[in-house]
Amino acid sequence: MMRACRTPRNVEICITNQCNLRCTYCSHFSSEGSGSDDLPTGEWLAFFEELNRCSVLEVVLGGGEPLLRGDLMELVNGIVTNRMRFRIQTNGLLLTLELAASLRSTGRCHQVQLSIDGSCPEVHDHFRGDGSFEGVITGLRILQKSRLPISVRVTVHKRNVDDLERIATLLLEGFGLPAFSTNSASYMGLCRQNADEVQLGVEEHSRAMEALLRLGDRYPGRILANAGPLSNARHWLDMERARKEGLDPFPDCGYLRSCGGVFSKITVRADGVIVPCVQMTHIELGRINRSDLRVLWQEHPGILSLRRRWDVPLGSFEFCRGCPYIPYCRGNCPALAYTILGVENHPSPDACLRRFLDSGGKLPRVS
Amino acid sequence: MRSEALVLPMPRIVLREETDDWAILFDPDTAATFGVNPMGVLVFRLLDGSRTVRDIVAEIRERCTDVPSDAERIVGDFLEELVTRGMAELRTPGGR
Repeated sequence: MMRACRTPRNVEICITNQCNLRCTYCSHFSSEGSGSDDLPTGEWLAFFEELNRCSVLEVVLGGGEPLLRGDLMELVNGIVTNRMRFRIQTNGLLLTLELAASLRSTGRCHQVQLSIDGSCPEVHDHFRGDGSFEGVITGLRILQKSRLPISVRVTVHKRNVDDLERIATLLLEGFGLPAFSTNSASYMGLCRQNADEVQLGVEEHSRAMEALLRLGDRYPGRILANAGPLSNARHWLDMERARKEGLDPFPDCGYLRSCGGVFSKITVRADGVIVPCVQMTHIELGRINRSDLRVLWQEHPGILSLRRRWDVPLGSFEFCRGCPYIPYCRGNCPALAYTILGVENHPSPDACLRRFLDSGGKLPRVS
Repeated sequence: MRSEALVLPMPRIVLREETDDWAILFDPDTAATFGVNPMGVLVFRLLDGSRTVRDIVAEIRERCTDVPSDAERIVGDFLEELVTRGMAELRTPGGR
């Protein structure tokens, strides 16, 4: 089994359950712990001291909407005092020049991440709510003016699958961003209730893959993906080529090794409960300032079980029986395996190539 | 670096021990990292403001076996590298 770090390198913290939007596909709401009260400032500041003792390098501040916390700068200063850097994941609507200047003045802001899902209000606002496009674009301008490092995430869904080219033009040419990343609306949180309305069908998934690969050719290295249609397109094409040519297994494939997060990262819910991942909030490992993070990280059966996924061969699952792609597959996201099938240590159907093809999906044409 | 030089780590620098007793030094102001081997970890831990380069080498000789004869030069080069990277500072005037 791959060895975990002695302590987590990166800790993602949902500092609030409050949000000024209610996006139709938000992965946060309707998940475990999303209805609880937020913790007071002092609890987080005490926890940051423990993170310092554990030599954690970076804290990711998310939510809900982290900018709703009136004590945000106090929390940021607590991170800085404890020798860490930070990222913020925000919808951007509450950004001001003053706040951006304060964040920049710390010298420790690694990135502010915004979500932009359309090139115009009609597309972006459809699932995020009226006025959210104007708000996030204003936020983007503020970040650029303040010279803060920016990351933009585009979540691909039914309503923006034909807007991807215009989104790329807006972000890469209009705003001159160096890059943006993509994923897709996944079967988590609120999306579970709205899946038919939001999630890509097989044909739309094929269209999204084609479009994003084309854009990737036009803007080399500037469209990124760790999940979703672009990631699938790149990986699935490699898998299909390998199957046809009978190539040797890909590194780390043939086992449940798709996610290495539990070897270096951990998450805390807004109620202080420590969980393995922001998308696996149902696995409660302990609570901040009560559990010893170092011990929990090294010994908790819940996290050890997820690390042991790495030793589980895909061939041991009925789901994978007879699949020609096993030597080139890592079994996909454990959180989606849980939300779809109710079990983490199982291949996820979500990014399964065989299932996609069996459902009538077509791989993109390669020029 | 001179034998009597006194070197102190910058307070913001994080020593993060990874697997196999290796570690990284992390500067949160720049996000720069510097990988160090187990001997480097020991040296870094001995930078308490009271030990000179000579003291550190003496401590290593007490704790470890097979210490090379030019250990003082090796430790001096390592500390010089830390100072160059802004991860430590020289406290003795003219100590280099």
